[in-house]
Amino acid sequence: MPIVVKLDDLLHDRRMTLTELADRVGMTLANLSILKTGKARAVRFSTLEAICEALSCQPGDLLGFETSRKRSAAR
Amino acid sequence: MSKPAPSSAALPIAFVVLRILIILNWLGGAAIAVLLLVMPHEEWIMKALKLSGSPDARTVLLGLRAVAVLGLVTIPLNYGILKRLLAIVGTVRAGDPFVAENAQRLQAIAWALLAVQILSMVVGAIGTSISSPAHPIHLNAGFSINGWLAVLLTFLLARVFAVGTVMRDDLEGTV
Repeated sequence: MPIVVKLDDLLHDRRMTLTELADRVGMTLANLSILKTGKARAVRFSTLEAICEALSCQPGDLLGFETSRKRSAAR
Repeated sequence: MSKPAPSSAALPIAFVVLRILIILNWLGGAAIAVLLLVMPHEEWIMKALKLSGSPDARTVLLGLRAVAVLGLVTIPLNYGILKRLLAIVGTVRAGDPFVAENAQRLQAIAWALLAVQILSMVVGAIGTSISSPAHPIHLNAGFSINGWLAVLLTFLLARVFAVGTVMRDDLEGTV
C-alpha cells in the first residue's frame, strides 16, 4: 500500500515505546502493532485523534503517501 | 472490539435438533424406499387402500408411485439443507459466523429449499389429480406461502452473509 505509517519515527523522536503509547491511547498492543507495521487497512478518526493527542502531532506527521516508483527507488 | 455474544441455549439445542432431524430424514427415506419396494405388490396396496375393483385403481397406484419417487428425491435435498445448517451452527458456536463459506452454504440451502417447494407443488398436483370422491387422497403438499417465503428469506440471508463477510474483513484490518 502506498500509504506509509510513520509511527516508528514518531515514537523514536518522543522516546516512547509502543507499550506506553498503547496505555495512553487505550488501544491493544496488537492493534497498534498492526498500525505500526503498515498492515492496517483502515484507521478510525478516534484512533487517529488519540494517537495525535498522545504524541502531540498532526495526522500528516503520522501518515505519508509514497508512490510505488519512489518505494522501489528506496529499495 | 466487539463484545462476545451472550451464551445461549439455542445453539446446543439447534445442534441436537438438527442431528435428530438428519437421522429422521434418513429413516423417512428408508420408509419411502420400503414403500417403493412393496409397491409392485399391487394387490396388497389395493387391499390396504380399499381400491380393489375400482376403475381408477391403476391411476391411483401410478400416482402414489410417482409421489414416493419424488419423496425419495427430497431426502438428499433435505440432507443437504440440514448438513449445511449444522455447519452454520458450528461456525456460530465457534464465534465466527460471518465467513464466505456460510454465505455459500445459505445460497445452496436456498436453492435446495426452492427445489423442495417445486417438488411439493408437483406432489400436490399429483395428489389432486388422483383423488376422487370415491377415494379421496389428502397429501400434505402443494403451494405453501410460508415455504416460498422461506426460500426468499434464505436467498436474502445468503446475500446478507456475503455482504457481512466483506464488511467483517474490512473491520478486521481497521484499527
